[in-house]
Amino acid sequence: MLKVENVKKSFGAATVLNGVNLTVRPGEVVSILGSSGSGKSTLIRCINGLEKLDAGLITVDEFDVSKPKELAEARKRSGTVFQLFNLYPHMTALKNITLAPVEVLKRPRDEAEAEGRALLASVGLGDRADAYPAQLSGGQRQRVGICRALAMKPRYLLLDEVTSALDPEMTAEVLTILAKLAAEGTTMVFVTHEVEFARQISNRVVFLEKGTLLVDLPTKDFFDPAGGLAQPRVAQFLSKMRKD
Amino acid sequence: MRFDLTILAPHIGFLAEGALLTVQACILSLIGSVILGMLVAIARTSAAGWVRRLAFVYVDLFRNIPFIVQLFFFYYGLPEIGIYIDAFTTGVIALSIAGGAYASDVIRSGILAIDNGILEAAEVSGLSKRKTFTRIVLPIALRTSVRPLGSVLINMILTSSILSTITLNELTGSAKIVASDTFRPFEIYVVLLVVYAALTWLVSLGIGLLHRRLNRDMLEPVG
Repeated sequence: MLKVENVKKSFGAATVLNGVNLTVRPGEVVSILGSSGSGKSTLIRCINGLEKLDAGLITVDEFDVSKPKELAEARKRSGTVFQLFNLYPHMTALKNITLAPVEVLKRPRDEAEAEGRALLASVGLGDRADAYPAQLSGGQRQRVGICRALAMKPRYLLLDEVTSALDPEMTAEVLTILAKLAAEGTTMVFVTHEVEFARQISNRVVFLEKGTLLVDLPTKDFFDPAGGLAQPRVAQFLSKMRKD
Repeated sequence: MRFDLTILAPHIGFLAEGALLTVQACILSLIGSVILGMLVAIARTSAAGWVRRLAFVYVDLFRNIPFIVQLFFFYYGLPEIGIYIDAFTTGVIALSIAGGAYASDVIRSGILAIDNGILEAAEVSGLSKRKTFTRIVLPIALRTSVRPLGSVLINMILTSSILSTITLNELTGSAKIVASDTFRPFEIYVVLLVVYAALTWLVSLGIGLLHRRLNRDMLEPVG
């Protein structure tokens, strides 16, 4: 279980997270919606330990990310996919994927490579294993980014606006992969602006507003006029997203 | 006066030995200055304040003292306090230390230019700081540093001519000897000009090829 309890985080005078609570159970897909600056990405960055919490507690399968000794275990259990891919530019797609399994999990290289190739094939990049990131399109890069996270066999996949830097066609490429992962039962925390897609794949949708969780409901209820939509801020956000 | 290169024929072997010495000194000094430059660049990006300051002092010091003064200090100064080093070794050490100051600048800017997101990806994957440095930071920094490091090497070849002032008969030193033996300074220094120009041209050609080889993925079309 991934637990976020009363987490607070400020950057200087700006409070970005102001007491956030969130629980993600294995097998769940939880989408996090909210306008830019609402703290969605910061929440992800607190879960994977890239930002230190000011207050509160985050545990990944009981491992406290604020404790340096437990953070390593917590990080083994979560995999992050970034908005701007953040691939290692000097390594091939396959090397990007096998680096951490070999160096961190101490997997034998040939096993890691076989798995890496299988992952690439599963996202339709079986023939691009030896390509460098600069030789790949944005959508292809993000698919490699997803494979890199999956190669560590994480129990929780953290997706931080993974399609925001992509055009609609490439976005579709990546969303197809994510839908497949969701159908296979991968646990995901999905920060996104893709409202319609979030509706299709998530079990639960949460809405962040100015650093607090305004709504946390099962997907069906979130989009129900009597549920999440009853919140004026949510209704306003959704109508705006649909217009765009 | 007649321009006659044939008078140099008997001295070609001697000059070639000098050229070889120049090449050897420069290759060793390049290795020395890249290793030193890397260490100092690491120190200059270190978290510990005193390590950073020490590294800055080194870089500032050796960039702001004429090379010939450094060289004389090592070769003529140190024996006074009982440290004797032969001319070749002194030359290589002095060139490495001076070159290292410049190389550290180049490598440091290569390190600082790395996108923070890449380092974050490595961090969340659980890669240790050391592994992140050796597998990600250093390779990226070195490959973007190839061209400026090439300039450091070329500068080193030019500067190595100063080693002739500490009795080392490298290219310039042996040319001086031939010039005074034959009383034909014009011919001999014309040859010297051409050889240095050819040497540095070849090196910059090689650097260009190496740069393209290391960064080949950036040059191909997206496909």
